[in-house]
Amino acid sequence: MPGLITVSRRRKGMRSYADLLSTPLIVLLGGAAVALWVSTRTLDDIEARALQPSAILSDLGQHLILTAYSTLFVIVIAVPLGILLSRKGARRIRNVVLAVGGFAQALPPYGVLVLIAFAPAPFGFNPFSVIMGLVAAALLPVLRNTVVGLRQVDPALIEAARGMGMSGRATLFRVELPLAVPVMMAGIRVALVLNVGTAVLATFVGGGGLGSLIVRAQTLNRPIVLVTAGAIVAALALMVDWLAGVAERLVRARTS
Amino acid sequence: MSETTTNPHGIAEGHPDQRPMIVLEGVSKTYPGQTIPAVAELDLAVPRGSIVMLVGPSGCGKTTTLKMMNRLIEPTTGRILLDGEDVTGVNADQLRRRIGYVIQQVGLFPHFTVGENIAVVPRMLGWDRQRIRQRVDELLELVGLHPREFRDRYPRQLSGGQQQRVGVARALAADPPVMLMDEPFGAIDPVTRERLHDEFLEIQRTVRKTICFVTHDLQEAIKLGDHIAIFTAGGRLAQYDTPEGILSRPANDFVAEFVGSGAAVRRLHLIALSTLDLDEIATGSSPTAAALVTVPLSGSVYDAVDAMLDAQTSVVAVVDDDGQAVGALRWNTLVEKLQLRGLHP
Repeated sequence: MPGLITVSRRRKGMRSYADLLSTPLIVLLGGAAVALWVSTRTLDDIEARALQPSAILSDLGQHLILTAYSTLFVIVIAVPLGILLSRKGARRIRNVVLAVGGFAQALPPYGVLVLIAFAPAPFGFNPFSVIMGLVAAALLPVLRNTVVGLRQVDPALIEAARGMGMSGRATLFRVELPLAVPVMMAGIRVALVLNVGTAVLATFVGGGGLGSLIVRAQTLNRPIVLVTAGAIVAALALMVDWLAGVAERLVRARTS
Repeated sequence: MSETTTNPHGIAEGHPDQRPMIVLEGVSKTYPGQTIPAVAELDLAVPRGSIVMLVGPSGCGKTTTLKMMNRLIEPTTGRILLDGEDVTGVNADQLRRRIGYVIQQVGLFPHFTVGENIAVVPRMLGWDRQRIRQRVDELLELVGLHPREFRDRYPRQLSGGQQQRVGVARALAADPPVMLMDEPFGAIDPVTRERLHDEFLEIQRTVRKTICFVTHDLQEAIKLGDHIAIFTAGGRLAQYDTPEGILSRPANDFVAEFVGSGAAVRRLHLIALSTLDLDEIATGSSPTAAALVTVPLSGSVYDAVDAMLDAQTSVVAVVDDDGQAVGALRWNTLVEKLQLRGLHP
């Protein structure tokens, strides 16, 4: 019996290695193709300036900072809120709050960003507004998955924990949360990918990021810059999703 | 013992060793939004070191009663005494660390190893590592699981029976004087359950805990219980007595009906073969001892009758632990003996 379990797990492990490698491979090949194409072209002054590594890296850095902060705030807000909503006493307001979260997610992010940018200080045309807009758009997946993840924990485990004398808090931290983490991680992954994509819009409200590169390429009317910018955004989104997927898988392997 | 059965209350005084371990005094539970109590004005005393089975149809309040003992359910009225101490108002978490708890779904934490599961309460009590490790191995040994093989496994790698053994070990971890068990063997197949019953009684012989055990299976209650408390709907105690007393002297129609028509056969479980005078095994005449169906001396008359019916024979050989025949039991003499005891078969 133990032999059977190891065999099946090893086979599963091999399959997961294969699809773990596919994303970086696609990104690498795609990146190489674009780089090759760019290198065969002679760039004029404007194109060369737009594609300067230092300019691209600065946009990329801003983009990553926007993504990281917005995702961090999403986690800081949605996880505790989700824990509160998953408690028995919150049964009534649970659906109300989730509906509000769904409403926020359904709003077009571009509209939200513009609205926030015109709001009074500390909002305005600045990265803070961008981050708040991203948080509003990406809150729901983490909130919902936290609630769902906690509520799918077998009630018998909670009864066993309380019956042995674990306090409510200890039961939450030692039993419920560890068992909910895989589902919560899936929600965080969705939020992260949403934020990477939506952060492209940051440039319209003074937030910078890779959107600036795209806008520059459009105003310059230089297809080679536009294609490069698009490829970078796509590669970043794929790699962020891939990293989050790896993290999710590690967490899942440890807890189940 | 008989004192506690005939007079479950008013025995809280007296020598500490005779003092019942758990006493419920006028305990009621009415759930919010309901008018009919789930448990009504219950008085119950559980003698130290004995197994009390709480039996009854679904919705009779037996599980509610059990869960009030460790205050997973707070009683609406009444007092609960644990070893003479009123625990109705003490910190519930700390109270529960002094009471072992086993549930039907076992509730082993899937992200903890077997060893970590057993160590939960000792860790909360702040035991040092060395002591916890020793205790885990000792308990695994006690419930018949090899420590080296099972300590570091995860619950999903165990069979249902093995999981419930770990559940029992976990409840025993901090050596609590009291164990509460809520249909612990209810979800286990009959063959394994039978074996777990025997092991459970074996373990109880060494640990001598005070055990409250909820079941809806009267057979299980008769086999395991020193006393049986039969509940009727509405959380009232219909009878609280020894298995013998329940089967031979049902206190009212409800108990008689609950015990059912098979009471006489069930009672055969209660007569150990070792208490009977067995016939000599006639040597030379056939059938010889070697050809006879055998039953172990540790078994009951029920096992012997079962073996007779199974093999369609009217005589069985009773053998001791080493397989040595100690005597023969014949159908006719058995029936006579039971008549002498006033137990018509």
